[in-house]
Amino acid sequence: MDPELVQPNAYIALRLPSDSTMIVQVLPNTTISIGKYGAFQANNVLGRPYHLTFEIRDTVTHDGKAQSGLRVVPAAELYADIKDETPETPPEVEGENSSASGDGVEYEVVGQNGEVVVRTNRQIIDDPNSQIMTMDEIEALKAQSTGSGKELIAKILESHSALDQKTAFALAKYTLRKTKKYLRRFTVLPLDVPTLARWILTDKEPMKIMELRGEILSLIGSWSNVHCTPSISTPSLDGDGMQMKGGRWLVIDETAGLLVAYMAEKMAILHPPGHDEQEAGSNIPSKQKADAVNGDNANGEPTTKDVIAPPLYHPRPRKTSGPATTNTITLIHANAQPNLSLLKYFHFDAFNPSTSHPLESHLKTLSWLQLLSPEDDIGYVEPATASEEVIQSWKSGKRSNHFRKRRRWERIKFIADETRAGKFDGLIVASIMSPVSILQHTVPLLRGAAQVVVYSPTIEPLVELSDCYSTARRTAFVTNPPDPDMMPTEDFPLNPTLLLAPTIQTARSRSWQVLPGRTHPLMTGRGGSEGYVFTATRVLPAKGKVEARGKFKRRKVDGVMTRVSSVQGTPASGDSGTVEMDAS
Amino acid sequence: MAIASTPQHSSFLHCGPIAEADSFAVLHLKRDLLIPTVLRAHDELDEGYSEGKVSNTRFGSFPHSTLIGVPWGSQVRASTVDTGSRGRKGWEGKGKKRKRNEESQGQGDTAGVEKKQNAEIENKTAIEATTGFVHLLPPTPEIWTASLPHRTQVVYTPDYSYILHRLRARPGTVLIEAGAGSGSFTHAAARAVYNGFPESGTEVSSTQEPAEKRRGKIWSFEFHEQRAQKLQQEIKEHGLDGVVKLTYRDVCQDGFTPDDTPTSEVKANAIFLDLPAPWLGLKHLNRTNPSSPLSPTTTIHLCTFSPCIEQVQRTINTLRSLGWTEIEMVEIASKRIEVRRERVGLAEEGLRGVNDSPASVDEAVGRLREVEGRSRLFHNEEEEPGGAQVSKQQRLENIRSALEGRKLYKEGRLIHKAEPELKTHTSYLVFAVLPREWSEEDEKLAQGKWPAKVEVKEEKDGPVSKRQRKKDAKAKAGGNKEFEVQESIVH
Ligand SMILES: C[S@@+](CC[C@H](N)C(=O)[O-])C[C@H]1O[C@@H](n2cnc3c(N)ncnc32)[C@H](O)[C@@H]1O
Repeated sequence: MDPELVQPNAYIALRLPSDSTMIVQVLPNTTISIGKYGAFQANNVLGRPYHLTFEIRDTVTHDGKAQSGLRVVPAAELYADIKDETPETPPEVEGENSSASGDGVEYEVVGQNGEVVVRTNRQIIDDPNSQIMTMDEIEALKAQSTGSGKELIAKILESHSALDQKTAFALAKYTLRKTKKYLRRFTVLPLDVPTLARWILTDKEPMKIMELRGEILSLIGSWSNVHCTPSISTPSLDGDGMQMKGGRWLVIDETAGLLVAYMAEKMAILHPPGHDEQEAGSNIPSKQKADAVNGDNANGEPTTKDVIAPPLYHPRPRKTSGPATTNTITLIHANAQPNLSLLKYFHFDAFNPSTSHPLESHLKTLSWLQLLSPEDDIGYVEPATASEEVIQSWKSGKRSNHFRKRRRWERIKFIADETRAGKFDGLIVASIMSPVSILQHTVPLLRGAAQVVVYSPTIEPLVELSDCYSTARRTAFVTNPPDPDMMPTEDFPLNPTLLLAPTIQTARSRSWQVLPGRTHPLMTGRGGSEGYVFTATRVLPAKGKVEARGKFKRRKVDGVMTRVSSVQGTPASGDSGTVEMDAS
Repeated sequence: MAIASTPQHSSFLHCGPIAEADSFAVLHLKRDLLIPTVLRAHDELDEGYSEGKVSNTRFGSFPHSTLIGVPWGSQVRASTVDTGSRGRKGWEGKGKKRKRNEESQGQGDTAGVEKKQNAEIENKTAIEATTGFVHLLPPTPEIWTASLPHRTQVVYTPDYSYILHRLRARPGTVLIEAGAGSGSFTHAAARAVYNGFPESGTEVSSTQEPAEKRRGKIWSFEFHEQRAQKLQQEIKEHGLDGVVKLTYRDVCQDGFTPDDTPTSEVKANAIFLDLPAPWLGLKHLNRTNPSSPLSPTTTIHLCTFSPCIEQVQRTINTLRSLGWTEIEMVEIASKRIEVRRERVGLAEEGLRGVNDSPASVDEAVGRLREVEGRSRLFHNEEEEPGGAQVSKQQRLENIRSALEGRKLYKEGRLIHKAEPELKTHTSYLVFAVLPREWSEEDEKLAQGKWPAKVEVKEEKDGPVSKRQRKKDAKAKAGGNKEFEVQESIVH
């Protein structure tokens, strides 16, 4: 299976001329409709590479039946309009633009620079027909149209009575707008996490993913240090699976699984194995190659030959391999079941996981109740055991029910115990719950040097969180430590010595249009929540009192006195009023 | 040789529970003050400290014997180290006078220096100092970017994060990078593509993880000789030489295939160009070129990083003419935000870090009354017995003594504002995609595999109605609204 080609049953993204995206599943032998732009047969994109742009062509067969086909649009054609415009860009040096158009735009009126119009829309000018078309007429034309939409655009442009009064600049804009509306093209994109995130944010339901923008997602990825940890040794699960293994991330994800998918992609556990075989071919040790082929044979056919529409990920009988101990994601959820609905785009169903999917063993989920008070969770209570003989005497239905229950219990117990033992390498939070309450229970589960990242669509929850870790509060805590058994207290909702360098940050991209002579930032963008991340590092404070070192210099800032920042984080005297976020 | 054998291990990618000797570590003094160092059990530089290798910082001295074996993330106290010549064993006669400025940047150490043969002299046990501490951290690309020695402009975290996101750099990606410069981007990219070291034997095939994946790799290029050498040394020291292959070469002139590598080996599917003239490099990144370093069977994602708009325009013109698609240009603006408590009011008079003007109209009026009363007293020359008026000195004294019992960390208004200095422009990011080649022949094969029906049926005869089909499709796409749009053009 080549992930670079569209596979049967895969979800793909289609980018439309309007710049909006839609997601479809490519079921073989079906028709895919892209709304007003038309429809095409799934088989026409199956087995084709991604990132090609297709144009829908309607042709008529001999016996008079309509047939739709696709044509790959070559890159040169995509840019045809842009290249045509190049010569019209006024040379920078010569300021001789005799025929000012009067509307403040420094380009010649189309009528006086016939070349441009004639080149782009030759047929139009020659055609005597120059009536303004009504919407109905356009619809009618569309219905008759068998072309790519280009003729239609030409017709519409031609019918625009004031066309010859437009400047080249305005014309270009107008053409672009019409192109977006009527051109019957689409680009096929692989549905990966960045594309999925963008689609939900701009075309679907931004609230579902807490308005998580790509820029912020990428910041979360970097600061959490989440990355792939291939297994270093063979960790056996012989009861002693509790020792630290590395590559374990803890996550609170209320973005319907987007965050989990994003992490999984960075950990190489989002896509089922079998990818990249062609590329890897030569380096594969033969044993592993054999394994890979075996894996595919389970689906009934070798990957190199094509059989119509094999299911991508075949559920196999449950193996007893158990949860992985390295390169894993542990998700804590607030409801009885986690919401991971977006993982379906990656062929993973959290309720009925296929064992061939890497997430089946690498993603572990538990509820807050199972974490904080497992005894109160029915799933954690060991089901009754029975002797071998008794079990044998049962009917097969009862027997399998018994084993299913025990397996379920074993898994819940394993995950709860392992999670409670902590030593996670990082924590990522995207939740509408109070971050202070989440960190109270999760920071202690982190190893030293683990990274903490908390996302919030609005800044207020993060400001409140940062305040719990302010230098002044930490100083007060260190100077007069509260009884550990009394924690959390009203003054210290969190232990301020456990996180280093708490920082809030944000990032935003600004898109530009780059066209010859018409380069500028785009004029509109998405509003709504800005989105912020809080980052910090889990540390292990030294036992006993630790004195800071540094000179107490003073300097004037904003008309008030503040300590100069060469002092180490925990000052000796606590009278400074500034809450420096400068953690030591 | 300096570093005889680099183990296939990098504290960037796997750090065990504790800091081990010879691992690359970072001493965190405070935000934005980080000292990278290689932990050594012995004094490799032969500086003569009785404690062995010592990192001297502004917050005290840290013999490495107090750092090795400690869990990562630990707060470690400074030690009392005699930094004068007396405390250094065998110091005189070495002729290696080296004035080490404690405040200077490179306190850490210079790596890759020969280990002294007879370094086995017993180290003195370090004595804890009364003040000063550091936090001992394993390195991450973010920490490295904040602490690396700048030899060029570097790509910072918000930019490289977004670039790697858009380049689809993930485990198994093969990425070309030029120029490597100071190596900031290099480290982040290495983490993103890493999925195991080649032929390391570390990978034991487990049932869940068939190790058939292509190895992620960075092919990095730098044409400035010293920079290339320095970076090569760092990559080695950081244990990343199994992931990053750095080549000293001018990519614009000579292309992207190292001399000692057959072209067919590179097969990159992502490219990042941080060069003054990226368009000059683009001609080598063309599939028509017989020595193309591009993967023939994958999509190629590209990003160029240029500070000036003119560079962007030239780059994009070239990209268009070479058949790249999905060309987009963006800028990334990022900022850090500071959180403070702001205290305002007369009750703060004379204190530091506050605004001691009236906090409310009431306070202002109260103050005005008081002043008014005082001047009236003054004019009437009445001496009130007992002195209801407190002297300013007394008032300040009272405020200061009340300070003891106050919890300032909870007082005032919680506010946030942007850091004082913003980076308002780093560079323009140009993204583009080069799809896999698709020949007529490929298309014929695909048509054979996936024969399209000659006609699009109206489903009248089929078991599934059109409405049903639409419903199904909708259900599959998760209620995607787009599906509700009529199929207007199919006949
Ligand atoms: C701005 S720096 C790159 C910084 C780097 N991205 C980082 O994050 O540290 C640009 C580098 O490109 C190198 N360079 C410029 N032209 C080059 C060429 N034709 N071939 C190879 N390297 C080149 C320069 O020597 C310089 O070190």
